[in-house]
Amino acid sequence: MNGAHGSGGVSNRRDFLLRAGVFGAASLATSAWADQLVDLALPGGPSARPLTDAFVGKDGMILQRTRPPLLETPMSVFDQGVFTPNDRFFVRWHWANIPTAVDVTSFRLAVRGHVGRPLSITLAQLLAMPRVQLAAINQCSGNSRGLFQPRVAGGQWAHGAMGNAKWVGVSLRYILDLAGVQAGATAVRFSGLDEPVVPTGPKFAKSLAIDHARDGEVMVAFLMNGEQLPLLNGFPVRLIVPGWYSTYWVKMLNDIEVLDQPDDNYWMARAYKIPDTPLANVAPGAKGFPAVPINRMIPRAWVTNPVDGARVAMQPRLSVGGIAMGGDAGVAKVDVSADHGRSWTAASLGPDEGKYSFRRFDLTAPVPGPGPLALMARCTNTAGVVQSLTPNWNPGGFMRGCIETTHVVLG
Amino acid sequence: MTGKAKTASMAGSVLKLSTLAAVYVIGVLLARQAFQDSLTEPAALPPATQATAPLSRVTAGGVTLTSVNIDFPNDDQPYTGPGAEVMNANCTACHSANMALNQPRLSPADWKAEVDKMRGTYKATVADKDVPAILKYLNAMSARLPADGAPAPGAPSGSASSASG
Repeated sequence: MNGAHGSGGVSNRRDFLLRAGVFGAASLATSAWADQLVDLALPGGPSARPLTDAFVGKDGMILQRTRPPLLETPMSVFDQGVFTPNDRFFVRWHWANIPTAVDVTSFRLAVRGHVGRPLSITLAQLLAMPRVQLAAINQCSGNSRGLFQPRVAGGQWAHGAMGNAKWVGVSLRYILDLAGVQAGATAVRFSGLDEPVVPTGPKFAKSLAIDHARDGEVMVAFLMNGEQLPLLNGFPVRLIVPGWYSTYWVKMLNDIEVLDQPDDNYWMARAYKIPDTPLANVAPGAKGFPAVPINRMIPRAWVTNPVDGARVAMQPRLSVGGIAMGGDAGVAKVDVSADHGRSWTAASLGPDEGKYSFRRFDLTAPVPGPGPLALMARCTNTAGVVQSLTPNWNPGGFMRGCIETTHVVLG
Repeated sequence: MTGKAKTASMAGSVLKLSTLAAVYVIGVLLARQAFQDSLTEPAALPPATQATAPLSRVTAGGVTLTSVNIDFPNDDQPYTGPGAEVMNANCTACHSANMALNQPRLSPADWKAEVDKMRGTYKATVADKDVPAILKYLNAMSARLPADGAPAPGAPSGSASSASG
């Protein structure tokens, strides 16, 4: 959405090849199972990605990496509703050693560590526990990393490393209370069935402070939009951490460990660290800044209709719509600008599905004459946090939150 | 995992391995990976049983969860061009080639930091003697990309870190 090309727009292969002269031959080698390409309009490229149906339970996904899978949701999906269908929901794994089969009768969720009564919970037991439900956005820490300038290493996502679903499961607090958290507990660490490819490599594990883990909102979920989770999204259970980036939403969750000291594992102590500054922003090239584990999400919004790169028939008033998120708070307001941010018009908001959910916005905006048009959407959350025009930057490519622009041509 | 399931899993792993060997003639690395996976995946069941054995279910509180047994797609896009052999031999054990091929133009210092991270942090078994050839391939790949759209004065083209995500 940050360029003149159609981000997430689908073109056929020939059209793409005709305008893709800048890409090296290697990056154009496509798979037999991917017959369409998308152009993510990442500044400087490479910008071409196959659109793939090759993963069981997933359709029409932008292929960022085959193994371990990184699958991105096309922006067009977010225009179709505030909830992201399971078969279009983005996928992100760290290690390639992921079980391709899970037997629901033998699966166990362990609760151990600094507890009075260690547990080994069967799925039948979990399903029989009191349930909670909420809508929540799962957004990768590095969502939109590919739009950072200067560019940074890592998964080169456009905006589709996010999704919103209705989650049903059991409150983590309920499970911890069953096990009996002991005095002196500091944090709770979570890990899943995935394992390092190299046995000595750091197994993926994340932790939450004990008070956060016991806040009643963090959930062990077994239903996603009313269905069991796709394996690639963490079947049979994953952690839901509303308002926080998805690095904490541990998939195939089978181990809950209560700690009595800070978690010094690699994935907390060294990875997913952000500058301890407003919006995690530092000057490009900065070094030696204090860093903290990434945590709460911030407000964002995207114009999804018209689609980026579209040519739209000239009309005095243009229908504009999209989705917004408040981050760790609800969406209070969305404003739209058609003049590069000089003036803003409030959009009307769609139904409130809860403060952690996407929220639809729509308006009809007066537009200037024919020609290129830049549409911006700006979210203000219920805590009063407003998106900024200036992009935030950090070397990890985390937590992008600036106002995004959708480019269309009128006439 | 029950003893019965474990036996089935091990027998299935042999099946899985032989199927892979037959189908993927070029798949020496893939087969090695599949074998490693079969040793470490506690719940892995052979694909061959998928069509015949009904998938087990658990039901409680009006919700039914059904066991899942799928295959991931083949990783069929190797590194190509001059120097590809050292890349395919060293880098594809942990991740497919498109991870590197999709990276933006990075500086030689950034690429060195990435390779150091793969070896030091993620314990990739890359011999010292192969590192120069790997860096040569990655730097040549970056050199084919245009420079950043709007680099800040004096800024690196990107800054590799121990970040992830």
